[in-house]
Amino acid sequence: MNLKYRIAIILGLIAASIWTLFPRTVVERVTRNGQVVYDTVRRVPLKRGLDLQGGMHLALEVDESKGPVPDKSKAIDNALKVVRNRIDEFGVSEPVVQKAGNDRIIVELPGIDDPQRAQDVVQKAAFLEFQITDKTQALEKALPRLDAVLKDAKVTVAVAASGAKKDTTSAGLQSLFTADTSKKADSAKTDSAAAAAGTAGGPGAFSKLVQQGGMPGEYYVAQSDVGLMTQYLAMPQVQAALPPAKVIRWSSDTVSLGNRVYRPLYVLDAKPIITGEFLTDAKPNTSPTEGNLVQFTMNNEGARRFRTETSRHIKDFMAIVLDQRVMGRPPVIQSAIGANGQITMGGKDLQAAQDLALVLRAGSLPVPLKVVDWRQIGASLGQDSIHKSITAGAIAVALVVFIMLFYYRFSGALAVAALVLYILYTLAALAGFQAVLTLPGLAGFVLSIGIAVDANVLIFERIREELAHGKTVRTAIDEGFRHAMSAIVDSNVSTALTAAVLYQYGTGPVRGFAVTLLAGIAASMITSIFVVRTFFMIWLNRSRDVQTSLSI
Amino acid sequence: MLRILHDTNYDFIRWWKVMAAITIAFIVLGLGSLAIKPPNYSIEFTGGTLLQLEFAQPPDVGVIRSTLDQAGIHGAEIQQFGTNREFTVRAQDPREVAAQSKGAESIAVTIGKVLKQKFGENALKVVRTEGVGPRVGQELRRGAIIAILLSFLITLVYLSIRFEWRFAAAAVIATSHDVFTTIAFLKLMHLEISLTVVAGILTVLGYSLNDTIIIFDRVRENLRKGRKETLYETLNRSINETLPRSVLTHATVLAATLSLLIFAGEVIRPFAWVMAFGVVTGTFSSIYVAAPVLLWIERKWPRSTGARQSSSTATPTSRTRRSPATATR
Repeated sequence: MNLKYRIAIILGLIAASIWTLFPRTVVERVTRNGQVVYDTVRRVPLKRGLDLQGGMHLALEVDESKGPVPDKSKAIDNALKVVRNRIDEFGVSEPVVQKAGNDRIIVELPGIDDPQRAQDVVQKAAFLEFQITDKTQALEKALPRLDAVLKDAKVTVAVAASGAKKDTTSAGLQSLFTADTSKKADSAKTDSAAAAAGTAGGPGAFSKLVQQGGMPGEYYVAQSDVGLMTQYLAMPQVQAALPPAKVIRWSSDTVSLGNRVYRPLYVLDAKPIITGEFLTDAKPNTSPTEGNLVQFTMNNEGARRFRTETSRHIKDFMAIVLDQRVMGRPPVIQSAIGANGQITMGGKDLQAAQDLALVLRAGSLPVPLKVVDWRQIGASLGQDSIHKSITAGAIAVALVVFIMLFYYRFSGALAVAALVLYILYTLAALAGFQAVLTLPGLAGFVLSIGIAVDANVLIFERIREELAHGKTVRTAIDEGFRHAMSAIVDSNVSTALTAAVLYQYGTGPVRGFAVTLLAGIAASMITSIFVVRTFFMIWLNRSRDVQTSLSI
Repeated sequence: MLRILHDTNYDFIRWWKVMAAITIAFIVLGLGSLAIKPPNYSIEFTGGTLLQLEFAQPPDVGVIRSTLDQAGIHGAEIQQFGTNREFTVRAQDPREVAAQSKGAESIAVTIGKVLKQKFGENALKVVRTEGVGPRVGQELRRGAIIAILLSFLITLVYLSIRFEWRFAAAAVIATSHDVFTTIAFLKLMHLEISLTVVAGILTVLGYSLNDTIIIFDRVRENLRKGRKETLYETLNRSINETLPRSVLTHATVLAATLSLLIFAGEVIRPFAWVMAFGVVTGTFSSIYVAAPVLLWIERKWPRSTGARQSSSTATPTSRTRRSPATATR
């Protein structure tokens, strides 16, 4: 190939690389005076993985603990849309929401500093139902039956366990009450298994836990008995004895009567008068009398149904049930309700109202999701990793440059110049393909600096051999490149194949590593063979005189 | 011209029995201790919860432990991570792992909360949390094994095409040797096997394969020249001829690896250790595993006459390799 073309190609690649890597303006979340704000910053367009910029990674799967889901792949597709809507509304720059395999959703949220909140937003089923509280005193009628069932079952109940629940830290309580009912049942069961206490299934085991509340279908259970009650309710015998066509739901709030704290339990008509599917909008608000709340609007179809249903239930109490939990105290229906309504948040803060409005707007999850894998990395740790990797990289380059110059002198200098281009090209390739740079990826890149000169070492050793055989400088260089080629190609191709396998089977950070490795192999082939060869050609053509010796 | 190990004529392969004994002893030691105590898998593989904490002042590890015990988090592993102000807490209790799929985030939250209660709100920062469900861990473990086996298979096919099956088999056997020595090394060094370390093992495999291919490429070339010498001699000659390249390349790779080991921080350190060991085992296996195995294969399944001018007759005489006199130039 003509020398001019060679030089043109190299210069072209340099120009393209610089253009690719040139800092550009991007919108980013940045921390300023302790506040996270969006701002435009200029930076090199290299995508940093979560482990370098901080953030959160979640992997979600269909939760089948409450019953099998027939078509998981389809369910995940539907859930994916909802999750994506929610994340879009959550406001993260460059979030990733994608399906992995057949039954998994991957969510990546860069720069998230409150992982728990992010997870709640993603995972909340947000299934909204409006149900009328029971007016028929169905639970009272069923109480003797329930007591009898518990007596027959001779359940070994951990009185001590429910007592212990009361004494756990506030964190424990918090998680207990925000968890949904089935979770609670599980934890209560574990407790009873752990603490082999005496029988509590004596006479009136069930009825002594509940007392009449302030409206039809409302019952109070002392806070300390909630665990025990949940456990009873989870028992199959008890479930069979519960009044038919009714459902039992806990309240999301507690009430204080005198100095005792109670959690209301509601008996509701099983068939909801309407569900959240007709919701078109929801926004948070604060009312001086009711505290934080979420106001929602329904579409025409929903409003029509809602009006019909509520007009049939004037003077009844309507529970607003979100994810099987009664939100606030059920209000009495004064007159037919149309398109608008509200959900009171009890004592929760405005952010809770905001998040609820967000998930209601984005729609309910068609299937419950569970988190199977999550990672959260602080932004400072990511920054620290970048600094350390850059230090290691700089020292690696310095050492390699020293070795090459020390051993190969002039030719070593050519190899070092090629190494600089190698670094430039590799970074440009990573930026150009929008590859995600991870910490293992950076380590792989530093390592590749050491490996990149191998091709040049092979070539230089060959040239030395040819020179030793008494060949002229020009022939020795030609022969050196030609003979080293098969070894370089074979070794690089086999490494590239290994990297491809890594890419295929790796996840997250490891994938980033494989990408860096592949980009490095390509760049090293170009620089050590093409670029260094061109350098030699320039050197040979520098003067008309024949070069008689080569510093190698 | 600065030259090292130029025009050498060492009889490397002569020592293969001693070397085999050394490497087998190392592998047996490592894998034997695996049988006694399972390897130190990271939570990516076992499932569990991990928190990385950064304290303002060096804390008392005993206090951390007792605080966690009081909160009902038993058997958590607390490890210093780099400086004496940084620690990782790993909750890997099987019950907790099982509970995790139902919301182990609460374990991480609880750990953070109780420690902040004990040490003060600003005395520590949770800089990283990770949680992995048991099923994900299983999948990853399977994925890692598949990745290694698949890379072997692909290498075997590629080298069979580019060289021939005897070389391919010898190269893959040499590379599998490196898997075993690296696992033994990980075990003896008590390094944690994480996804990054698995990536490191695969890189070592690639690197070791490189090294073997460079030597085999020489062998291929020398065989084509049709010298009157045994394969044993050709192998030795090829190793000697590629010796300067080996030394130089290992030096630059080791330089990069050492700067990673020293400067790149705690997260990368296990990977850097694997790579540093990889340079050693890769070099070793190219000379002392790949070459003797190739000789053995040649003896067992000799090439048909005519495929190569000299080697089919030369191969049987390679039995005499214990005599140093055969290795001449």
